[in-house]
Order: sequence, then structure tokens, then C-alpha cells
Amino acid sequence: MSEPAPTGVIHDIGYRHYDGARHGRGYTIRALMLHSLRGVFGLGRTARSKIIPFVLFGVMMLPAVVSIATMALLQRNMITYSDYAIMMQVLLAIFVASQSPYLVAPDLRFRILPLYLSRPVTPRDYVAAKLGAMSIALAMLIAIPITAVFIGELVIDMPGPPNTSGYVGSMVSAVVYAVLLASLGVTISSFTPRRGLGVASVIGFYLLTSAVSGVLTGVLLSMSRDDEAAWAQLLNPFFLVNSAQTWITGESGAGLTPYPDGLGGPVSALAVLVLIVLSVTAMLARYRKAASA
Amino acid sequence: MTILTTEGLTKRFPQVTALDRLSVNVGPGVTGLVGANGAGKSTLIKILLGLVEPTEGTGRVLGMDIATQGPEIRRVTGYMPEHECLPPDISATEFVVHMGQMSGLPRAAARERAADVLRHVGLYEERYRAIGGYSTGMRQRVKLAQALVHDPKLVFLDEPTNGLDPQGRDEMLALIRRIGTEFGISVLVTSHLLGELERVCDHVIVIDGGRLLRSSDIGDFTQATQTITVEVEEGQEPLAARLTELGETVTVHGRLLLLSVRGDETFDAVRDAVCDLSLNLVRLEQGRQRIEDVFRENAHV
Repeated sequence: MSEPAPTGVIHDIGYRHYDGARHGRGYTIRALMLHSLRGVFGLGRTARSKIIPFVLFGVMMLPAVVSIATMALLQRNMITYSDYAIMMQVLLAIFVASQSPYLVAPDLRFRILPLYLSRPVTPRDYVAAKLGAMSIALAMLIAIPITAVFIGELVIDMPGPPNTSGYVGSMVSAVVYAVLLASLGVTISSFTPRRGLGVASVIGFYLLTSAVSGVLTGVLLSMSRDDEAAWAQLLNPFFLVNSAQTWITGESGAGLTPYPDGLGGPVSALAVLVLIVLSVTAMLARYRKAASA
Repeated sequence: MTILTTEGLTKRFPQVTALDRLSVNVGPGVTGLVGANGAGKSTLIKILLGLVEPTEGTGRVLGMDIATQGPEIRRVTGYMPEHECLPPDISATEFVVHMGQMSGLPRAAARERAADVLRHVGLYEERYRAIGGYSTGMRQRVKLAQALVHDPKLVFLDEPTNGLDPQGRDEMLALIRRIGTEFGISVLVTSHLLGELERVCDHVIVIDGGRLLRSSDIGDFTQATQTITVEVEEGQEPLAARLTELGETVTVHGRLLLLSVRGDETFDAVRDAVCDLSLNLVRLEQGRQRIEDVFRENAHV
């Protein structure tokens, strides 16, 4: 009986050169953004890193679920779309604080940044991708529960017309919240390679602004200086966005006291823009410096 | 053909001058960049990648200007930094794929390239595990793999043998040699351990204090004197005496005998002497003048 001829042979084909496509900057920014976005939610990472983002997302959904239930059972919509982010601001702040350092701190701490910068990725691309990823994550966090409520409202077919304009307005403001919070959070975290310190700094920033805003507003209200109280409230970035939003949509605000009228709206909108620009500028400067170090 | 060239390259930091009017030419193949710590090796690489602006001078990498074409240069070069640069919580495969994408490779191509390159650098099943659990040798391989994943035309390897044990060092050096020959990728490799570069380099550049000490082909470094190293199990003294008698120039280096080669007759003399004294010959190899010696000579000039 003859041996069967070997049918499979492993060849060492040696080194193969790559002559396929090489994409440009747009592609690398998108790829880095997607990689970072997955990282924010802990996808492709250990189970432990999924806990915080998904628990926070679950809690974000709770009011939406309750609201849909009350609509179905009591025919009453408990939630104003534009108030959702204000109502959940502590949660959003915790999400920004816990996940922003995740985006930037490891690259600094484990010195992965030079590997990016020794590729066609520029500091500007890097900053754009990281801010984009955090903005998308936050926009999803705000928009998904509101959208769920809106779908609920449509399906349950409440008496009266659906609040479509309120929904659309809240989607736009979700994007503004997302970009502002991401800019502040990621910029603050990018200044330390230590994740814990980053988390503490971001949450500290939120607590400081909201506490100062809250105390000042309370004190001024008790002294019946309502005008100053209205302005003091804007120190909290959430109320700042809400103030700009109410100025544009004409809805009522969700603050402790009405926002300043007259100049209040335009000033709020401008302040939001200025905060975003300042943050991005600071972050760019920080990474330009890191690139040449 | 010139891979890279610099002209009067100078980099001054507030405290130190890292590079001082450095002009070098590097051809294809493996080029060693030798210098003590702080000689300006890493600064030179960063300038060549277009990441750090030189204070004065110009340079071209693969025909592209370092001042204006940084991104284009970085597209076709690879860089392995001296320092640790790996995230602990993801696998080598995932990391190298990501870095391939960051060089512009489509995801599918990056996957294929990452698998190829990791195999070439000698990482097999462990490449699916998180990098945090890797040994230093494995980390160095991952660092090398990420520099090669996009099939660059030139790689900058900054102290690739750092922290490796002797065996890991040999394997890394063999790999570098393969990159320069079999893979056809030009290599600029730095080291402060001068001796190890002569084994893998075609050309060596010696810098000190940011200035060029010497730049020449490896042959020029080592041709000057031809020596052979002889090792016997025991009885090196009688052997040395016997060889001296036969007219050879012998120096004893611990257990080793170093002989200057006069010609073929030197090898015959060793053979005959070992036979006559019935010694056990353990090693007979071509020794070369060490780059250290060249460096030392130059440094004292």
C-alpha cells in the first residue's frame, strides 16, 4: 500500500509587501473616533469597563420608561423633552467625568501618543477624533431616552397633537449639550495622565460650577434680587445651554428661577460657543506641545 | 540611492544643544546610529519624522523635505520608540490592527497585515492575550510590529534591544537584519551598545554630543585588523606559547586567545598546534575589530 501523497503543505511565503489602498486623514480620524467611541462604552474591553457606562445609560433610560408607562396608563406625559438633560444633569456629569479620562489618559500614561503622532495623524486630527467620540457618546446618551419617549408618545396616541417641535428642539440641544460637555470634560482630563485625577477634576469642575451657581442663586433669591439670581444661575453649564435653548425655542426654562430675559439668551448662546472654542483651543495647545516633546 | 540626508542639522534646547551641525547621508539597508545616552539619537529621529523642528539646517527623508512634508514622510516610515508605548488592556492583535488603521490601511487589510507582521516578529498564540501580561521581549516585538504593520519603506528603531536578555537581544538583532535584507525595508537603528550593531549593520554613523564622529560602511570599521578568536577547553597557555613559537601574534583574553591573521597559514598554525598538543578546540571564529575601539579612538581625538 502506497502512502497517500501529502495534500497540504505549509509554505513559508516570507515577507509580503502591501500595495493596497492607503486612506487619507478623513479615514484615520473616523477610525480613531470609532475606536474611541467603542472605548467610551467599554466595547471590546473587559467586562468591568462596561459596567459604569451601561449602568449610567440604564439609569438615563429610567425616567423615559416611567414616562412611557404613565402615558400608557394615565394618558399624561410627565416629561418635557427640553428638560430631560437638566433633570439628568448629575448623571451626565458623572458620565463625562468617568469616561472622558478614559479617552485621553491612557494614551498619555502609557505613552501611546507618540505612536499616533509618528503616523499621518496630526494633533488636530487626534483632538477632533477624541472630542467627536465623546460628543457622539453624550448625544446618544441624551437623545436615545428622549427619542424613546417620543416614540412612546406617538404609539400611545395621546390626546392632542404630539409635541414634535419640542422633540426636534431637544434633539438640537442634545447636540449642543454633548459638544459643550465633551469639550469641557475631555479638555480637563487631557491635562493629566492619571485617570483618577482626571475623574476627580471633571467632577470637581461640575460640582464647583453647580454649587456656586446654586448657592448664589438661592442667596440672591432670598434677598429678592431676582435679576441677579437669574444671571447667577447661568454659571452652571447645563443651565447655560438651557437658557440659550429657551431663548431660541421660546419654551419655559427648567432652572430654579426664570433665565434672564433680554440679553440673557444671546449672551448664553455666545457663552456656550466661547466655552467650546476655549476648551478646544486649550486642548489643541496641549497636544501641540506634547507632539514636539 | 539615498534614503535620508541631513545638512547642517542643529537642534538647540534652552539647556543643551542636542544636535550640532550634523550632516549625514544614509543609503538603503541597515544603518546603525551609535552614540552614548544623550548623544542626540532620539532627537535626530524625531526631527527626521518631522515632529520636532530643527533650529537650523535641512534634511530629506526618502526625497521628502522634513520641514514641509512631515505627514507624507510619516505615511511611509515606521517608528519604534525607545520607551514603553503599549496599552496594557488590549491584545497585541487589536493594537497592531488599530495602528495599521491609523496609518491609513483599511480595516480588513490592517487585520491581514497585523497577522503577518506579528508572525514575522515571532508572536503567535499569545498575540490574542492582553499586552499587560507580556514579557519585555514580547513587548519589544509588539513595538516592532506596530512600526512595520503599514509596510513602510524605512523604519526608525530607537534602542530596540533595550532591556532584553542576551538571547532576546540576538533574536531582535537577527530580526532587524531580516527587515533590512529579506523584507527590503531600510532600517535606521540606534544603540549605545556599539558591539551589537556591527553584527547587523551595513553602515554605521557614530555621533557624540550631537556631532558626527564618523560615518562609514561596516567593512571600513572592521577591515583594519583581521583577528581570529580561539577557545580551547583547557591549556590555553601552552597553546599560546606554541603559536608564538610558530610566529603568530597572540594575546590572551581570559579564556580566549586572539590572533592577528597573517594569511591562510595562521589558520593552519592553529590547526596544527591544537592537534600537536591534543587540546579540545571549542571555538575558532573570525573576530573583528570592535566598533567600540573605533569609537574610543575617535572620541579621544
